[in-house]
Amino acid sequence: MESLLSASGQAIHLLFKGDAELWNIIWISFRVSSLAILLAALPALLTAFLLSYSRFPGRRFLISIFSTLLSVPAVVVGLTLYLVLSRHGPLGDLKLLFTQTAMILGQIALCFPILVAMGHVAFQSADKRAWETARTLGAGPGRALLTIMREVRFGLLAALLAAYGRIIAEVGASMMLGGNILHYTRNIPTAIALETSKGEFAQGIALGLVLLILAFSLNASLQYFQGKGQLVS
Amino acid sequence: MSHIEFTNLHKHFGHRQILTGTDLALTSGQCSLLSGANGAGKSTLLRICAGLEKPDMGEVNIGLGRQAWKRYRCMLQAEAVYLHQQPYMFDGSVIQNLAYALPGSTPRARHRLRISEALAWAELESIASNSAKTLSGGERQRVAIARAWLREPAIMLLDEPTTNMDQEARRRTMQLLHSLKQQGIALLIASHDPEHFYSLTNHWLELSSGRIENVLFVSEQADNVIPLAQSQRAIQ
Repeated sequence: MESLLSASGQAIHLLFKGDAELWNIIWISFRVSSLAILLAALPALLTAFLLSYSRFPGRRFLISIFSTLLSVPAVVVGLTLYLVLSRHGPLGDLKLLFTQTAMILGQIALCFPILVAMGHVAFQSADKRAWETARTLGAGPGRALLTIMREVRFGLLAALLAAYGRIIAEVGASMMLGGNILHYTRNIPTAIALETSKGEFAQGIALGLVLLILAFSLNASLQYFQGKGQLVS
Repeated sequence: MSHIEFTNLHKHFGHRQILTGTDLALTSGQCSLLSGANGAGKSTLLRICAGLEKPDMGEVNIGLGRQAWKRYRCMLQAEAVYLHQQPYMFDGSVIQNLAYALPGSTPRARHRLRISEALAWAELESIASNSAKTLSGGERQRVAIARAWLREPAIMLLDEPTTNMDQEARRRTMQLLHSLKQQGIALLIASHDPEHFYSLTNHWLELSSGRIENVLFVSEQADNVIPLAQSQRAIQ
């Protein structure tokens, strides 16, 4: 207990003294995960919309696939992409392995099914009349889609936050695809794993605190926006 | 558009045939009332006329010649507005809901003017800033009609527009419908309660077994209704 308290004290000291190495790790984490979510959001939400509003053969099968992908461990996603990106893999010539780009690809693969599955639920919850009303009032498909997205924005926001929470805290794919290279591909989860294995608990706890604060902020903001939504509807 | 004809419309859902060769004509400034039992296909017919539902078969005659459904759909969506039995209100105020119907390219001054006109026309000034989702059924219907009016449509298709309304709300809705008709908009109203619409209706159509079986012509006045037996005729 005493060592936990002492390590926590050191962790807070590290955070507040502006330790360059620590903040570099935090920056890499946010950069990689934010880019991944930004790149995945639009195609994933469009896919979710098509699965909700279009009828085509294989639609149910696709929904089942995305739901199944939700439970695939990050390390399996990492392994699959590792094989694809490694020197003898089909994309080996691109030399992406152990780069931030590879980490971004891995995190896109992880958050895409979450965005599709949760986005699909959100779009399904929309009143069918909303789409028809938009169309009959002269909105083209694009504007009608934006209207529906606005109507179900709290569900979509929940999907984005859940996906972001998943990728910023995952360790398996980042470790395998990024290689945990200091100042380049070492992010919060891989750094925690490394520091813990070395017995350096202070930095691990400091980074854990950052993740905890992030998780709390995401959930608090979701609660805030959902609360606002209830007042309106 | 002064006249539009739909001929030989067929539509089925699953194993159930809803429309089996329905013919319908809509004329500017005239109101057609569509009655029929539950599940007779009234809403389906309205939705086809609005371009929201694709018929299995049929033709639309609007002077374009024979065209693919996609082309008709674009034209119908540009000319017709469909109002649900319980109109959908977008998240936001009454003004924001009205503004939705105006093209994005509308200049700001004209935008403001049109919204003011719509608020005044439908007597919505007192609730202009209210959240549209919190309105009563009658108020929602008036907002929906005003919103549709802002689109300046040639055809307005209304599904049970006065259902579950109190007398005052019904009176106000009827006022708006009369005004739309006077402005030259072709109205097609589906209703279980035809007696509420006598004063508005030019043609009373009865949908049965997937077809418009009987046509009861009605004059402008409620007491001049021509008995069904005298005017009954099959369209086909």
